[in-house]
Amino acid sequence: MGKQEMRKELAALSFSEKVKILEKLRKRSLAFAEAREKRKESTDAPRETSKDSQE
Amino acid sequence: MQADGVIGEYAIGGAVGAMLYLEPAATLDVDIFVSLPVSASGLVSLAPIYDYLKARGCQEKQEHIIVGDWPVQFISPGDDLERDAVAEAVATTLEGTSTRIMSAEHLVAIALRTGRPKDHNRILQFFEQRAVDRKKLRAILTRFGLTAKWKEFERRYLEGANG
Repeated sequence: MGKQEMRKELAALSFSEKVKILEKLRKRSLAFAEAREKRKESTDAPRETSKDSQE
Repeated sequence: MQADGVIGEYAIGGAVGAMLYLEPAATLDVDIFVSLPVSASGLVSLAPIYDYLKARGCQEKQEHIIVGDWPVQFISPGDDLERDAVAEAVATTLEGTSTRIMSAEHLVAIALRTGRPKDHNRILQFFEQRAVDRKKLRAILTRFGLTAKWKEFERRYLEGANG
């Protein structure tokens, strides 16, 4: 199925069906945002020096 | 809420409203435009809505109130275009419950006026899906002084396109 056809099919769904898809999309967006945030936190965290890790 | 007299007329707008006409697109919140009584001082207060929902377990979070899993933003129509969009909203049902959503033409007019890249993108989607009554849109654009802006949009994005 082409992209355009798929979009037409999705647009033709009932509003209730679209809301269910939207809920899944939103959960995925939130999961991505959370993962991004965690990655950022771990990158920003000060690294242990070898001296620190010996203590 | 409407049945309990907390709000008057209302209409869902934004990305969730557009979804009645288009394919679903990710969004994080729901925009609901509500008619509220204006106080003697000319101020409009959203407090009755928040009080009503908080009494039913909903929590406030910044400019949103969380209803179910969804952050909802209640917006008082700020001008004649938004007031018209609420008055002329389309009735639909969501899992058996009736609800009101802005017309495709009002959503396009509001997106045109807002004018961010994502709004322009949404307008193009409306045209790709042939979800807009051009005659009705023209009348709205004329009524709310958006004709020049529309001409510019057409020149930039729709010139040569079939729609």
